Amino acid sequence: MFRIEVDRARFREIVRGRIRQDLRKYLSNSELIARQGERAVSVPVPQIELPHFRFGENQKSGVGQGPGEKGDALGDQEGEAGGEGAAGDREGQHILEVEVEIEELAEMLGKELELPNIQPRGKRDVSTEGGRYNGVRRSGPDSLRHMRRTFKAALLRTISAGEWDPNDPRVVPNREDQRYRARKSSPVPDSSAVILHMMDVSGSMGREQKEIVRIEAFWIDTWLRSQYKNLEVVYIVHDAVAKVVDQEAFFHLRESGGTKISSAYELALKLIQEQYRPEDWNIYPFHYSDGDNWSARDTERCISLLKDELLPRVNQFCYGQVKSAYGSGQFKKDLDEALGSDERLVTSSVADRGDIAGAIRQFLGKGR
Amino acid sequence: MNVQYARRRSGSLTPELALWAERIEKVARGHKLDFFAIDFELLDAKDVNGIAAYGGFPVRYPSWRFGMEFERLEKGYEYGLSKIYELVINNDPVVAYLVKSNSLLEQKLVMAHVCGHADFFAHNCWFQATDRHMLDTMGQHSTAVRRMIDRQGLERVERFLDQALSIDNLLDPYLPLREHLAKTKPTSLGTPPTYDILGFLCERAPLDDWQREILRIVRAEAYYFQPQRMTKIMNEGWASFWHSRILTGGVLDASEIVDFADCHSGATARAPGRINPYKLGIELFRYAEELGQDVFALRRRHNDASLIDELVDETFVEREMLFLYGKNPRSARTEVTERDWRKVKDRLLGDLAWGGLPQIELVAVDTEGRGELVLRHHHDGRDLQLQNARETLLRLAAIWKGPIELSTREEGEGRVLVCDGKDVEVREVPGAPPASSGDSSGEH
Repeated sequence: MFRIEVDRARFREIVRGRIRQDLRKYLSNSELIARQGERAVSVPVPQIELPHFRFGENQKSGVGQGPGEKGDALGDQEGEAGGEGAAGDREGQHILEVEVEIEELAEMLGKELELPNIQPRGKRDVSTEGGRYNGVRRSGPDSLRHMRRTFKAALLRTISAGEWDPNDPRVVPNREDQRYRARKSSPVPDSSAVILHMMDVSGSMGREQKEIVRIEAFWIDTWLRSQYKNLEVVYIVHDAVAKVVDQEAFFHLRESGGTKISSAYELALKLIQEQYRPEDWNIYPFHYSDGDNWSARDTERCISLLKDELLPRVNQFCYGQVKSAYGSGQFKKDLDEALGSDERLVTSSVADRGDIAGAIRQFLGKGR
Repeated sequence: MNVQYARRRSGSLTPELALWAERIEKVARGHKLDFFAIDFELLDAKDVNGIAAYGGFPVRYPSWRFGMEFERLEKGYEYGLSKIYELVINNDPVVAYLVKSNSLLEQKLVMAHVCGHADFFAHNCWFQATDRHMLDTMGQHSTAVRRMIDRQGLERVERFLDQALSIDNLLDPYLPLREHLAKTKPTSLGTPPTYDILGFLCERAPLDDWQREILRIVRAEAYYFQPQRMTKIMNEGWASFWHSRILTGGVLDASEIVDFADCHSGATARAPGRINPYKLGIELFRYAEELGQDVFALRRRHNDASLIDELVDETFVEREMLFLYGKNPRSARTEVTERDWRKVKDRLLGDLAWGGLPQIELVAVDTEGRGELVLRHHHDGRDLQLQNARETLLRLAAIWKGPIELSTREEGEGRVLVCDGKDVEVREVPGAPPASSGDSSGEH
């Protein structure tokens, strides 16, 4: 069955090429988001079938078999009936869905946007107990005794003590010679990360703005998932008050009323302090809004929260400003002015879907 | 006429299955079924999927399309949506694959079914002109294409192969039988008008030697598979007719009958929205038998269209509860629209005409001195899918290296698709649209 595997590999290569080609398109629409599974995304690949002269579907009609009077509706059971199939009877007319592992998708994204791999923060190299018995030590239970090493030690001792007699090659291990297998602990870089997606859901954030956020968030998650073994995602929405919600609510919730961005930052800080301590987690807060804040005083509050509390605790704080019909875009200006020199803060602005790729690149391009 | 056959060893069968194969073949021959020797191969599901992806052959030329088909079959199997019971190829000896995971009863059923197919391959007239050593021929095709890949590079060969496969239905389904009966070698493939556009291109298209070779390979394989498309209903019907008779005539013991009935009725169930060839086929032969017709003669002389033309009447349509369905524009749902037997029969014949393919004829070459091919789609009420037609024309133009014109109809209006090699322009044709020439059902 070797040949068919070669053909399958070639087919997959072609499909991957097609996806890579269309990646920019996927970066600006939400087609892939609904297709996200645990470890893979199912990508629809149109037009991979060879074209043929064939009949159109201009009449959804034909000959059927079964009971029913004129005018009765047809049951929707057009599934495969029989199971047997003879050679050469296949008709292939379907949009093909191809499962692409998230890792692989991230790799394509990385190549397309030239994203650097993330350098783990220095102190992050927390040793974790490895699970393999590939070490040796001098004490342990008999069941783990390493015979060969024990005798080797005994032989060494015998020779060095001058007691070795080739004519009587007896080696008797004593207590000091005993060697035991041991679990060896090897430093494993700690690979936990948390993303805090915060979004302004006040009245001015419309459907299109949320869609843009959704697409950005999808790709950011995809990338970070490929960089960290263990990734958690927390969704926070805010208008004048902030709360934690699930993914579904995050993208569909529509609140109204004022905007107090500091409420979200405070909630994020609280979560970091209580659940995601910086010693244990790589922390990535993302905040999306249309740039309108309730008052200049609240903006000041945000800036001081960022400067004194959030930025020192996180890998990188990203602010994505999505242009809306009502937003002034002031918030980004304020942030850039006050904290622009701090490289832990990245801001971007997105006017329409075409800017998404650029924003993702700005956010993830530093490799932090 | 009886076919010559030699007893073959079916190497991979278990002794028990080998015994059953022998016994079932004997019973089948006792029923006057007559076939080449059958090689049964026992494989696991994955291997059967691999072979099925190659259209039943263990060796084909390399192509990503087979890989795609394999992926689809594997997924269907993995998710429990579909499972291949049986796979049989028209060759001497006939090669049939059995799936290891099937129960003994299922294996017996498949073996009996295969005997039916094998008899059909040997005696149906449409198969008379097929290559009975296709297993070897496919192997040679594979070697030839692999050699080209070594010389020309994968991408070049793949690109041309894909172009050629895109037009692999531009053939004349009746041509091989005509030639076989007239005992002529093809005189000149290069003279229009012809439906054998593949043959025309093999002769006349300005191609490199390796490209011409690929086109010949694609043409040979297309003609090999075409009779199976034209006789799908008959072939499955014939095989089911006989597996039922063989198994219930002493091969099964009483304890197996219920499971057999379950399995058999699953394969021959009625499906509301489409025709199940197993069901329609078996009922056609049963009906013919009731009418006192010689079923062996029918299986020799006909294809799906002509058999239906011969047998389907008011009684049959009523008994089989055949109907026409269509979309009700007001309720937007699919409904039963017609039970009149004549209309049902007309529609069946229409769908099966010309081997189920769009009937496209090469009517003229180079009449205006631009080296153009003039094609005509004989419209039978079903429009071509235009997007596909455009793409296909572009590939055809790449092979012909000249402009192509295709006249057809869209929603009743005449259209000409003009392809200059880079783009396809759709022109409306005022006045009389090209009409169907009408000779649609099979001639013999």
